[in-house]
Amino acid sequence: MTDIPMHLTADEIELWAQGLLPAPQAVHLADCSLCRTEAERERKIILALVQLPQFAPQTGFADRVMAQVKIPTPSGDWKA
Amino acid sequence: MAWAKQGHEAAFRELVRRYERPVFSLLFRMVRDRALAEDLAQETFIKVLNGIKSYKPEFKFSSWIFKIANNAAIDHLRRRSIDTLSLDGAPSAETPDQVRATSLQLGDRKESPLDEVESRELGTAIERAIARLRPEYRSCILLRHVEGYSYEEIAETLDLPLGTVKTYIHRARNELRGYLEDRRD
Repeated sequence: MTDIPMHLTADEIELWAQGLLPAPQAVHLADCSLCRTEAERERKIILALVQLPQFAPQTGFADRVMAQVKIPTPSGDWKA
Repeated sequence: MAWAKQGHEAAFRELVRRYERPVFSLLFRMVRDRALAEDLAQETFIKVLNGIKSYKPEFKFSSWIFKIANNAAIDHLRRRSIDTLSLDGAPSAETPDQVRATSLQLGDRKESPLDEVESRELGTAIERAIARLRPEYRSCILLRHVEGYSYEEIAETLDLPLGTVKTYIHRARNELRGYLEDRRD
């Protein structure tokens, strides 16, 4: 009897969106229109999330933080 | 990190420079108010830098800082009692009145010019959909797909069981799809 993978789980769909889906599930995906539709919908959401921009706080944020931080006396020089 | 632990100001500044955007972005998306997000981000960095000696190197630094930031956001949302609000009402709401009382009405308050700027910044469909998620779903989905954390790292950062993190992320993605598809209908 051949092992026929079940419909893809949410985890497997995420793996597919990352290009990491194992071969047996990939074969199933190629044959199953239900899973392909589901995977495509999921990929759109993941892509939209991954592309969200980062926001920056107002200028001078670090100064405002540093003004309220207790800085112990350091030892040695620091290089970035 | 080692230098920051020894208390060197330049190292502290470098840590702020490196993490201010991701931390502020997470907080802004959690509380949807720029000034408040900035206050919470400041509070987060002050707590982190003043407590840097207690940082354990076996724990990822970014996880530690996101944990503190997320706790600050969740505490704030709890204090304002809006953590159970959703567009569909609190899960515990049983009667139509309870549903109405616990429903978040987006856009039903008058927007100041500053609010309008924020709305534009967070104005895309996906941002609006994220805002409608429960806060615990929101932090999980943002850490997973915006910050690129693994499920295990999220579980560690948010002190949640791995299974819970997976459930929250899957539910969050389903809800996001639902909101975005409803919008198109």
